[in-house]
Amino acid sequence: MSEVQRRKYSQEEKNTIFDGEFMPHIDSMYNFAYRLTFDEDDAKDLVQDTYLKAYRFINSFEQGTNAKAWLFRILKNSFINEYRKKSKQPAKVDYQEVETYYNSDDVDYQSTTDLRAESVKGMIGDEISNALNSLAIDFRTVIILCDLEGFTYEEMAKILDIPIGTVRSRLHRARNLLKEKLKGYAQHMGYNTEEEEEI
Amino acid sequence: MEMNEETSGERKLKCGDTSKCFELLESILDGEIDNSKEVLKEKLAKCQPCFEHYHLEQAIRDVLKTKCTKHKVPNELADGIRQKIQEIK
Repeated sequence: MSEVQRRKYSQEEKNTIFDGEFMPHIDSMYNFAYRLTFDEDDAKDLVQDTYLKAYRFINSFEQGTNAKAWLFRILKNSFINEYRKKSKQPAKVDYQEVETYYNSDDVDYQSTTDLRAESVKGMIGDEISNALNSLAIDFRTVIILCDLEGFTYEEMAKILDIPIGTVRSRLHRARNLLKEKLKGYAQHMGYNTEEEEEI
Repeated sequence: MEMNEETSGERKLKCGDTSKCFELLESILDGEIDNSKEVLKEKLAKCQPCFEHYHLEQAIRDVLKTKCTKHKVPNELADGIRQKIQEIK
């Protein structure tokens, strides 16, 4: 292990890793950055910063391991350290408060009973995207990583620097929040929900 | 609703522990539970809330995957990155 960490790649090896293992993920990286910043220029800066850091620290990347997860971790940390600070967005709902609230079993059950799979299937892309984008950043992030990018819980734990158990529970809460949003759209659009059956 | 399921008439209408069951179902959908087929089959056959939750969660994952807006990477981004790398080499 320590031999790997001390290893220095030659210039040629660096180029091979960068072009062969890092650059193919630029599409996912840009989309992740866009969904964090909601701004094209910020997303571009964030992706560029991430790739420059990846190049600078390329010796700490072990060739053939999960480059995508490694890059996502750098991007997430860059976002937290730099972009989040200068973000013009108003303060979000306190994360801990939201997390505690949605940990309640009652909320858990009620929130899922009156949204139907059929209603969700009929929704358009904008409604889905808006619902996702309206979630607080920590919840949005786990859904992006899991459902849009297909990372495993273990990979997500490494990207986010949190235990796997926290990944699982945060995802569960994030999905409940997402369902609340989707339920709002379903009712607004007149999709069939149980609450409206008697009206 | 869901008449294609032979056992639908026998499903219990209240789940004993939705919190635990729903988290398990979600982990199964996320591909995190090994050999989950039997457990899943039994849960969906016997419990109406679990059955509904599973299909709702599945639908949400499908629409997230297929319908979420994808943003096209600006053409100049990859070139810009390569150029910056050349400068620091």
